[in-house]
Amino acid sequence: MIQVSNLSFSYTKKPFISDMTFSVSKGEIFGFLGPSGAGKSTLQKILIGMLTTYQGSVKVNGIECKERTKSFYEEIGVDFEFSTMYEKLTARENLEFFRSLYQKKGRPINTLLEMVGLEQDADKRVSEYSKGMKSRLNFIKALLHDPVLLCLDEPTSGLDPTNSRMMKNLILAERAKGKTILLTTHNMQDAAELCDRVAFIVGGKICALDSPHNLIMSRGAATVTYTWLDNGEHSISCPLNQISSDEQLRKLIAENRLQSIHSSEPTLNDIFMDITGRTLL
Amino acid sequence: MKAIRLSFFQMLQYMRRDMMLFVACFAPILAGLMFRYAIPFLEIVLTDLFNLPAIISPYYALIDIFFAMLSPVMFCFVSAMVSLEEVDENTAAYLFITPLGKTGYLAARFGVPAVIAFIITTILLPVFKLTSLSFVEIISLTIGGTLQGIIISLLIVTLSSNKLEGMAVTKLSTLMIFGAVIPFFIKHNIQYVLFLLPAFWIGKAISENTPFCVLLAFALSAIWIFFLLKQYLQKI
Repeated sequence: MIQVSNLSFSYTKKPFISDMTFSVSKGEIFGFLGPSGAGKSTLQKILIGMLTTYQGSVKVNGIECKERTKSFYEEIGVDFEFSTMYEKLTARENLEFFRSLYQKKGRPINTLLEMVGLEQDADKRVSEYSKGMKSRLNFIKALLHDPVLLCLDEPTSGLDPTNSRMMKNLILAERAKGKTILLTTHNMQDAAELCDRVAFIVGGKICALDSPHNLIMSRGAATVTYTWLDNGEHSISCPLNQISSDEQLRKLIAENRLQSIHSSEPTLNDIFMDITGRTLL
Repeated sequence: MKAIRLSFFQMLQYMRRDMMLFVACFAPILAGLMFRYAIPFLEIVLTDLFNLPAIISPYYALIDIFFAMLSPVMFCFVSAMVSLEEVDENTAAYLFITPLGKTGYLAARFGVPAVIAFIITTILLPVFKLTSLSFVEIISLTIGGTLQGIIISLLIVTLSSNKLEGMAVTKLSTLMIFGAVIPFFIKHNIQYVLFLLPAFWIGKAISENTPFCVLLAFALSAIWIFFLLKQYLQKI
């Protein structure tokens, strides 16, 4: 679906994105992770044809982005982090207008509104919507014309846990329908949960690219930490894959003296810090 | 074309929600009625009062120039305001990544209103004109006025970042049309200080009956539009 080779881009004389190469398969959820100013948004702008003065090759759905025509946008749906709605119009009026710009018939507006629980508020002006409602409305706007590629920028930002869960389920449902999804986020938990593969972007370069599971496993196994009382509380951690050779633990289990025991896996954020030396949080 | 047409109609729908912009669209008719009937009446009153043969009538051609610029300036002001609001609300950026695209957006927000302003001015100017303008003069004034309207709308969207700033820039940029006044009142070469204003050359063409100056106004307008459009595209 997406092939990027030797991509370089610069706003000034100083390179902003340098020598990026990656590809995204059809039906994949691919995450871009990185701190602010890393180049994620610029990369997304290049992929959706907003910036065309790049070097290298960027093909989306078989079309070189700098040679895109209007039909290029028939198959791309974009959900920006901020609201992109006419505030004085109702949600329904907004959706009807934006859908009318496409040749494809797309999806029924009422079905989309029901999907995100906005059917009762469809005839309210968008200016009366909360931030969370606007986020959900923005998301279904990207689905209006039933595109094959979805570019989602922080789709769960500003949502409460219930709506965040709903949004993640909707993203997974779109993937199940065969859509390719590009996800730009700071949220490592979302990325780990949703993405088939993630790319860590720092300073305009891809520092790592793999599935969240492989990235986590590549940086060492989980650890087990246990505590016991013996003239005060004591605590020891050992790698999970060496647990059978931990004499102290075996002894404590045999004597039923363990106070607590728990395992902890490195998170994607830990891996990001390991690889890039920076944190997103 | 479908996307441009729909986007233009959407702008009209949006304008209906904003009374200020809605009323601004009817300003040329109100102004035309005043120019056509109130000014000649005022001329009669003033000439009687001061016992002079003419007071305002020597400048009726100038009033016709202003009227030719009024419709395009008002229509382009309205579309510039809508465009600024779209930049505020990020809808402009979104429209660029739909089949409408950047070119379609520019056509819907600046091209179509300018064409409509041209048509309306071509209809209204013969109705409300105070002098005996020929068909060629009417078309020349209308083209000049339409180009002036495009320049003002591009100045508004380029120099302002929201509607409030847009209102302020509108007041300043409409001063450009007063360039047409100078050739009527200042005959000395100092008038050429304003040579960069297209309206100055329109005023000169009418006041001195030099049709060549209209071509200069068109050429100058094209240069203004080229540079402002370049700036605007960089901004968005």
